[in-house]
Amino acid sequence: MPPPLLETQNLGLCLSGRWLFRNLTLSIPPSSFVAISGPSGVGKTSLIRILARELSATEGSINSCLHHGQHTSMIFQDLQLANGASSLTNALGGCLARHSSLRTLWGFPVHEKAKAMEWLTKFGLENKARQWASTLSRGERQRLAICRSMLSSPTLLLADEPVASLDSDWANRTLDILKYSQKERGGSLVCSLHDEGQVQQFADFALRLDWESPTQWTWEKISRSDG
Amino acid sequence: MNKQDLPWHSRFDLLGVTFLLFLAASLGALPSIQGSGRDLDYWGNLSHFVARFFPPDWSIFERTMYGLLETIQIALVSTLLAVILSFLISLGASRNVAPGWVLWPTRMLLNIIRTIPSLLWALLAVVIVGSNSLAGVIALTLYSVGYLAKFFSETFESTDLSSQNALKSLRASPLQAFQYGLWPNARPIIWSHCLWMLEYNVRSASIIGYVGAGGIGLHLKLYAESADSWNKFSLVLLCILVIVTVLDFAGEKIRKSIRDKLEGTPK
Repeated sequence: MPPPLLETQNLGLCLSGRWLFRNLTLSIPPSSFVAISGPSGVGKTSLIRILARELSATEGSINSCLHHGQHTSMIFQDLQLANGASSLTNALGGCLARHSSLRTLWGFPVHEKAKAMEWLTKFGLENKARQWASTLSRGERQRLAICRSMLSSPTLLLADEPVASLDSDWANRTLDILKYSQKERGGSLVCSLHDEGQVQQFADFALRLDWESPTQWTWEKISRSDG
Repeated sequence: MNKQDLPWHSRFDLLGVTFLLFLAASLGALPSIQGSGRDLDYWGNLSHFVARFFPPDWSIFERTMYGLLETIQIALVSTLLAVILSFLISLGASRNVAPGWVLWPTRMLLNIIRTIPSLLWALLAVVIVGSNSLAGVIALTLYSVGYLAKFFSETFESTDLSSQNALKSLRASPLQAFQYGLWPNARPIIWSHCLWMLEYNVRSASIIGYVGAGGIGLHLKLYAESADSWNKFSLVLLCILVIVTVLDFAGEKIRKSIRDKLEGTPK
């Protein structure tokens, strides 16, 4: 079995006196799609934020097994776009880490722009590239946030409800694109989903958190006939 | 809880109380307004004075246009200088950028600058650099910095920081996160403030000439002080009115479209 991208040891989170989950020991295998599911408020967002190191766990540890040059990106639920900048500029935010501040002071390299346009096109935003992010609809903003994260070519992509505000057609297309783009570069996708149908259709593994008991989480391998 | 259960004072919110205070204070101030005590024919004086405004004397139209041009040039240059200075100073006056020991002195400085009216800045500048349009530029630049730097710092403080943080989490440098995360959100608002300041400066630049700081104000002073020139005076006023109205109208249109665009009406 290939080495995992990320491991957790007995992870637990206690918020305002209530344990959301405890003793969570996982390993995220490479080239996999891990879905986190469970009812609203069960701690899906918190767990993803902990994995992204945006939030500290109450107990336990996280061990990143990424090599040099590999990294994690996160797609936030509240999107966090720059409203007064064009869709293209927002998407290009994903490539900033690859260039120095001096290089990006007067604009972006041509090849990055081309790559950003590719992503915008994949997500049906090619005609909105010059529009301010504030003028996009909620679903378009969601897809734009995904483009930005994908442009950073993450090995591990953490996504908090990435398809929550998309119609079912775009939701399926988006999960499909995310899954295969990640697998193509040997990366993984961890995302919270509330639709069981999507979990069954796309995920390789499902982590289900339990509302009643923080230790009763389950890890399930989802077998599909298409392999 | 129905209405009777509420204590009597709950009907007075801040708005109501301040309005009542304002009303009481204004009425209390009425006795201080007194005439000269002489028996003057107010309406007669007014109509006699206003009558001398008409018809405006169009023979000085060309000269007035040159004066207006200089006024607008003073406003443009001083606004540009003020924007540059204000941007730097505003970083020092923003709670989320500057540390406390920079913050309070900067804000104090801005308060002091704002306390001095533009006409006084103009007088000071005329004393220092002489009676010319440079004095006007210096005066309006200083005056504008007091306001613009305050507006800018308030903009930086109230801007949504989430996109800046998102870019940081995508491993952008602090400068990149500012440039592509915070700045795009602040820029439209800052630009609105700049336009407002430009409008304001055209208005101010029209009057500072009165104390010798260049622009159309000098014409106003000359016509007001020479005998029987009120019809020339009125033409100058008319021209200023047109310019200010056009600027006001254009500025409002631009600011509204910026605001609409930023608040986002999905198309």
